[in-house]
Amino acid sequence: MCHVTFMNAAFVEAVRMFKSEPFCAADFVGKLGYTPGYARNFLSQATREGLLIAESARGRKGKNFRVDPDVIREVVLRGGKEKDELIEALGLRSKYLGEYVALRGFSVVDHDLDLYRLGERVFSNAETHGEIVVTNVGTPKRIITVEI
Amino acid sequence: MGSRLDVGRCWNFNDDEQPAYPTIEVTLSASGRRVSVRPKVDTGFNGSVAIGSSDVKRLRLTPAGTVLVKTATGANEVPVYLVKITQPQLAIAHTTLAVGTERSLVGRKLLQNRTWLLDCREGRFCIAIRTGPRRADADSATGYRTSP
Repeated sequence: MCHVTFMNAAFVEAVRMFKSEPFCAADFVGKLGYTPGYARNFLSQATREGLLIAESARGRKGKNFRVDPDVIREVVLRGGKEKDELIEALGLRSKYLGEYVALRGFSVVDHDLDLYRLGERVFSNAETHGEIVVTNVGTPKRIITVEI
Repeated sequence: MGSRLDVGRCWNFNDDEQPAYPTIEVTLSASGRRVSVRPKVDTGFNGSVAIGSSDVKRLRLTPAGTVLVKTATGANEVPVYLVKITQPQLAIAHTTLAVGTERSLVGRKLLQNRTWLLDCREGRFCIAIRTGPRRADADSATGYRTSP
């Protein structure tokens, strides 16, 4: 399990652009407009921090990187502004605004306006416990109220 | 012709604060651990169960997500936990999502589709049971009687 200690703008942009797809340093420079020096430093640090997974690029010099899917779960569980940024970067706001979503890595496995209905469906299988994480996208249309 | 209401199972108010408040006894369990709790009945809570931090520790729960909830003082992001709730008198035994709060609560979703007696004179919260047509000679001002 990764332990995310930072999530900066470059990481959020990488999630937005590449999601679960592999990318190399040249993609990071070409598609996101960062300088090669910054890209090298960022990719190296983000890999050490557990945000990215580095893998050998088949038939090419250098490495490919992927966003670690465990980061999604960890950031959602941490909550706050970083969660909102990640949800936005994953493109969920436009599709599921006001709903609850169940995520497994980058994938939305289910969604519902009602948190309890969603929970019943996605956690009915004991094997999914620990893999799936549920959260709201924006302010839920059926928000839970606790008036104490 | 109306139906008569008998008083079924009752739970005494908890007087650890004043005024005393209604409670229901429920059993919460997860991952082989089980606790019997008497959460406050909160009709301002539109969910089923909220689980307090001390019960989270007792059950050693890990969050299954985070959601935004509306409270009297604004909106807060809270963890949600997967727990099995059991209440034999209400024929409840299912796994559900419980929002994490300061103290454990039972909300309207758990109370719905039942008739309840909030007996502040006797300090008890009871299930009211419909027992068929009201007798013509029923002279009780409340229409309630206590089950033997």
